[in-house]
Amino acid sequence: MTDVQDKPAAIAETGGGVVATLFRFQSVFGLLAVFVAAIIFSPRRDGQILFVSADNLANVVRAVSEIGIIAVGMTFVILIGGIDLSVGAVLGLAAVGSAVLMVESDWGFLPSVVVVLLIGLVFGALQGMATSMIGIQSFIVTLAGLQIARGLARIWSDGQGVAIAYGDGPDEAPESFAILGERTFGGLVPIPVLIFAVVAIAAVVFLRVSAFSRHLYAVGGNEKAARLSGVPVTRVKIAVFAVCGLLAALAGIVHAVQLNQGSPNDGIGYELDAIAAVVIGGTSLAGGRGSVAGTVAGALLLGVLNNILALNNIDSNIQLLIKGLVIVAAAALQRLRPTS
Amino acid sequence: MAEVAALVRMARIGKRYGGVRACREVDFSLGAGEVHALLGENGAGKSTLMKILSGDVTDYDGEIRINDEPVSFGGPTDAQAAGIAMIHQELDLVPGLSVADNIFLGRELRTPWRTVDRRRMDREARALLERSGVRLDPRRPVGELRVGEQQLVTIAKAISLDARVLIMDEPTSALTTSEVERLFVVIRELRRAGVGIVYISHRMEEIAQVADRATVLRNGEVVTSFDPRKLSTAEVVEAMVGRPVQTMFTTPDAATGDELLRVEDLALTPRRHRPGRRDPAGISLTVRAGEIVGLAGLLGAGRTELLETLYGVAPGGPRSGRILLQGKEIRPRGPRDALARGIGFVPEDRRASGLVLFHSILANTVLSSVPQYGRFGVVGRRRERAASVRMADRLRLKFGRLQDEVGTLSGGNQQKVVFGRMLLTAPKLLLLDEPTRGVDIGAKAEIYRLLGELAGQGLGVLLASSELPELVGVCDRVVVLRDGRDVASFSTADSGEGDLLAAAMGEGAVFEQVGGPL
Repeated sequence: MTDVQDKPAAIAETGGGVVATLFRFQSVFGLLAVFVAAIIFSPRRDGQILFVSADNLANVVRAVSEIGIIAVGMTFVILIGGIDLSVGAVLGLAAVGSAVLMVESDWGFLPSVVVVLLIGLVFGALQGMATSMIGIQSFIVTLAGLQIARGLARIWSDGQGVAIAYGDGPDEAPESFAILGERTFGGLVPIPVLIFAVVAIAAVVFLRVSAFSRHLYAVGGNEKAARLSGVPVTRVKIAVFAVCGLLAALAGIVHAVQLNQGSPNDGIGYELDAIAAVVIGGTSLAGGRGSVAGTVAGALLLGVLNNILALNNIDSNIQLLIKGLVIVAAAALQRLRPTS
Repeated sequence: MAEVAALVRMARIGKRYGGVRACREVDFSLGAGEVHALLGENGAGKSTLMKILSGDVTDYDGEIRINDEPVSFGGPTDAQAAGIAMIHQELDLVPGLSVADNIFLGRELRTPWRTVDRRRMDREARALLERSGVRLDPRRPVGELRVGEQQLVTIAKAISLDARVLIMDEPTSALTTSEVERLFVVIRELRRAGVGIVYISHRMEEIAQVADRATVLRNGEVVTSFDPRKLSTAEVVEAMVGRPVQTMFTTPDAATGDELLRVEDLALTPRRHRPGRRDPAGISLTVRAGEIVGLAGLLGAGRTELLETLYGVAPGGPRSGRILLQGKEIRPRGPRDALARGIGFVPEDRRASGLVLFHSILANTVLSSVPQYGRFGVVGRRRERAASVRMADRLRLKFGRLQDEVGTLSGGNQQKVVFGRMLLTAPKLLLLDEPTRGVDIGAKAEIYRLLGELAGQGLGVLLASSELPELVGVCDRVVVLRDGRDVASFSTADSGEGDLLAAAMGEGAVFEQVGGPL
């Protein structure tokens, strides 16, 4: 196949032409633009552009990886026309879970991680069941899920952050867990970034080649038509919410490692950053249209923006304003997208 | 008539959508008290022309004069102020509001205290409806009404605007025969009152009955104007299509095989009440392999609901009777189950329930069969493409590339995609609900040819349709439904449209059915 598309070619392809291409890769071009702007406006030290230093770039992607992992799951949910507001709370629950299991219950690395991931998976699947089998809108289901996950996290941790210290003794987490926070490839690439990259690439490949992804796009595009065509709509929905919960839990583990603690208040508001990344990435909130590659670009764009604003010591309140405007601009650009 | 000063005169109207010319140098006029029919295949430019006249489309070439005054509308409100009202094909009603509320939407009647005067609105709505020959409680929510009744409400609403120009876009598509008769009485009254009416319809016999003049559009241009009482249907069709259409219907192959489907006294009582629906209340019928069986009946007779029950998408609830497929009793649990058993379904509304309009032709065509083109859950690109191309050839699909959005196809070609999707699942029995609604004549003939071909290969077809000529022309046998029961069965070899109609409406009680409870 000759196409170099960021989503399954079989689903849809807007016509050729420069304008159409610009719009199709809108988020990638947006990312490039912000990247160039970041170089121009970057503070310099000894003639060195601080923004493009290896250390700083590694920091940008490391800071992005948690939101990025969540946003991949969010993309799936939004592609089927749903929304998942519980991901930030599930991240908190997973962070608490990792800390409590390893530090207080003295579990090993593998069982802790597996159980925490399972918790996310089951939590997501239950939300998927509620929305697909009872027919409650996912906004409401996951709004409730947000409260429940946050409540569970508080109960599990007695409302306190649980610090993670490493060692072999009691109340210490296994050393192997700390590896997740380190860097690899000559100290250049943080492990969380590696995890994010693996998740993103797996998701892109999955959406491009799998039969399941056809069903996923069809459910988001026209649920009734999908059902009448024999697409297992309920199964698709449950699976998608389960994956989203699983990825939120994975992000929670990464979060706990990086902060050396699990707090029930971790991840507050992350769902909104993840949705922002998806929207900037060009995925339609109406469902059936969008891509994980766009979401990755969207998450990176937000990360670069955060970084360059911080490097220039821009007031954090002003940062919020600028981020808001970028989201609106991205959404407005999509309205201008030529339709056939 | 020609000497009378025209009420509306549209001159050299042109309109482009991208590279497509929807209208090209169209001249159109309408006199006071004239009914002017507008004919043409889908995409001929009828709707565009009328959208320009009603202010929906504001950027066009050419000139509109009303009573010899040039006008330029900035939107539908301007057109309404100039006395132009349009009854849209897509009903623009608010389902949650009552009939009276809908009729007076945006111009509610007020009491001296500026509150909404519901009593007066109800009273006037009732009077308006009665004038259109409908007995309806004006306080009923519109969402509970049959589509045909909703159509009558929009007509009553348009009449209440006291418009000088009334545009009716396929006003009868969901009306029963007696409702159509009543509508024609109303149209004649309006004509006498000097209202100019533009009448868009696909039904030739209606046009001969009601129109004073007819204009045919093809590819955005006026082909001919004629007196509808003087031209034969065949001549009109030829003008619309641009070539002679010899055989619309393929004579069905009489040779049929073993019994494929047997429905015995099927009845369903859904737990959740569905307003405006008529669930099976005792239906028996059979379909043999290679046989095309028609389902006739008025709207609300239960045709769609029967097909849905057979496909497993009817609502839950106690049911009685039996469904047998090739002699084995089945209880279809849903589309997946039905498809796995070899039952395919082409739903009534392809845009709402058939297609993902903004996805590609390819993705839509293979949607039901995509897992079978791959291994380990990975789609085989080449195989799905090959299957899709094969199906497009077989259906004579007119398209650019398989990657194009299916929404860019014409109605008939969209319908072929839905057909193709089902055929790729290799069904034994096809359930079709109004498969040619909104499909132009050329594509219709091709769908009929396809049905004949499928039956020849031993497929059984159950075809629900409101078009009697279609039922008589395509089917081997027609079963008539009324009130959720099968009331008659005809062989099309020895009965005509009249027999079907009489059975569908029942004896005498025609008017009762129109206004009565469902």
